[in-house]
Amino acid sequence: MRSEILYPGAFPMVRVELASGEHIKAESGAMVGSSPTVDVESKMEGGFLGALSRKLLTGEKFFFQTLRASRGDGEVLLAPTVPGEIVILELDGVNEYMVQKDGFLAGADSIVIESKMQSLSRGLLGGEGFFILKIGGKGTLVLNSFGAIHKIELKPDQEYIVDNSHLVAWSATTSYNIEKAASGWVASFTSGEGLVCRFRGPGVVYIQSRNPGSFGAWIRQFIPVSE
Amino acid sequence: MTQFSPNALCFGEEFPASGAPCVVQIERHGLTITFESGSGDRAQEMVPFAVFAVTAGGLDHDHLVLKWGEAQRARTLYLKNPDLIRAFREAAPDHLSQPFEQAAERVRQVRHRHRVMWGAVGGSIVAVALGLWFGSDLLVEMAVSRIPVEWEQKLGEAAYRDFLSHQEVMKEGPAVNAVEEMTQRLADQIPNSPYKFQVTVVKSDVVNAFALPGGYVVVFTGLMKKADSGEEVAGVLGHELNHVLQRHGLERIVKSMGVMAVVAIIVGDQQGLIGLMRQVGVELLTLKFDRAQETEADLTGLQLVYRAKIDPSGMITFFQKLSEKDEGRLEWLSTHPVSSARAERLKAELAALPKHSSEPFTFEWKTVQDALGVQPVAAP
Ligand SMILES: [Zn+2]
Repeated sequence: MRSEILYPGAFPMVRVELASGEHIKAESGAMVGSSPTVDVESKMEGGFLGALSRKLLTGEKFFFQTLRASRGDGEVLLAPTVPGEIVILELDGVNEYMVQKDGFLAGADSIVIESKMQSLSRGLLGGEGFFILKIGGKGTLVLNSFGAIHKIELKPDQEYIVDNSHLVAWSATTSYNIEKAASGWVASFTSGEGLVCRFRGPGVVYIQSRNPGSFGAWIRQFIPVSE
Repeated sequence: MTQFSPNALCFGEEFPASGAPCVVQIERHGLTITFESGSGDRAQEMVPFAVFAVTAGGLDHDHLVLKWGEAQRARTLYLKNPDLIRAFREAAPDHLSQPFEQAAERVRQVRHRHRVMWGAVGGSIVAVALGLWFGSDLLVEMAVSRIPVEWEQKLGEAAYRDFLSHQEVMKEGPAVNAVEEMTQRLADQIPNSPYKFQVTVVKSDVVNAFALPGGYVVVFTGLMKKADSGEEVAGVLGHELNHVLQRHGLERIVKSMGVMAVVAIIVGDQQGLIGLMRQVGVELLTLKFDRAQETEADLTGLQLVYRAKIDPSGMITFFQKLSEKDEGRLEWLSTHPVSSARAERLKAELAALPKHSSEPFTFEWKTVQDALGVQPVAAP
């Protein structure tokens, strides 16, 4: 698989070239177009209920699709749902990334994706859900963000504080604590708002320049309410 | 040249922030660390045990972290592989095993602190819960009975919409009409039901049907193709509707969310509970209902079908058909282990009910199946 970002910026698309027989995993609904040699297998990884749980628990789309160049070489075009940047990472087999919610766009078949349950406090307080994706293995991983992607590089023991709704992905070598930014504990307990993550290096943290939750709230005020 | 398969990450001034992949080998007196440059050249470094400082690190504190060197030459090595960590532990001299144990202890402490914190939260909750503790099922039932149907519907509807948005939904045609007629016949027999059943036919060869909390039912065309009569499908529907009526999904959710949920319900923390349900709860839909719930859905389903004057033998023959395992992909089986015992139990139950005549559906099953594209099977 060879991949290339087209139209870098707010409305990018990824072109992935597949050799005959090669296949990739992609978020369902990410496919924009493909050569006629490419077949889509809407395989429900982990079965229907596994897919359902992934959707509901991580907010991830229902199914991963398998895109397979079954009848010769071909290419696919992939794009995320929301406006925002795409970043391509080459996983080397030792680096693992935690990826949250809608951050996963596509990946080589050789990458390993598992849903991981966070500790109760992180899940409850972090607002990003109890489940995040842990992605490892060796091969290409394509992530997408809402807004621009910003990479924060942390040296060993270097710290950085990030609003948790801006998180996209972070290396498994980092550790983090959830801290409340302000207001009372009980409020944050239920709403998950006003919380920040204090990351500690070494490793890399990818953040997105826009907050999907706040954006949704902002949009909502323009939508007439019908009861 | 052998393949370079790194098993550790090395951090330092001259390495990328995500760490340099390297191969660590444990030797008698220290570690050999091999790096590979972009051009494929390899560089090896021997680091004696004597210089290491040992800690635990990483997101779950499951990495072994080794530090050595000063200032510009400071290095940090992250080992993740359990075998490698074990080998290190065995080979490392005594002066390192002490910090090693301390590191392990710190991991335990962190975990312990988390546990204590949640223990404290949970403890006060448990105190409340214990007052009500007459047995977990009773507690679950109590909690479930306090959950308003509207919440259940909200939860089910969200899942339903999410699911359907990725499916090819059959909007009209004989199959949809048939399923709607069956559902209506069954629902008419449930007076004062707080649920308004919504049934959607999804085009898929999956032989399955499921019901989400709140009354949202999905039937796959694969199941309808497999059935030899409308009565067989109605039997499955009767079973699924009863999972909804008996609030089995909620029971599972509350059971898995445990004490937290019970307390949220008791203190009436709606927002918190909805959040919890969305995040933890729905995982329960992924689990099988337990055997007692299945039996309950079978028996109440049979009674419902019977009351609706739908021939109950359809339900039994369909269960029998499903228990013949060599039929290929029968997804309903993965959530519903069908044993012939199950069909037998229904037979016995049916025999105990007074005989009455059943009324046929208004549709022809053959028309429905033709519309679904079922090839007529040649007579043997
Ligand atoms: Zn069932």
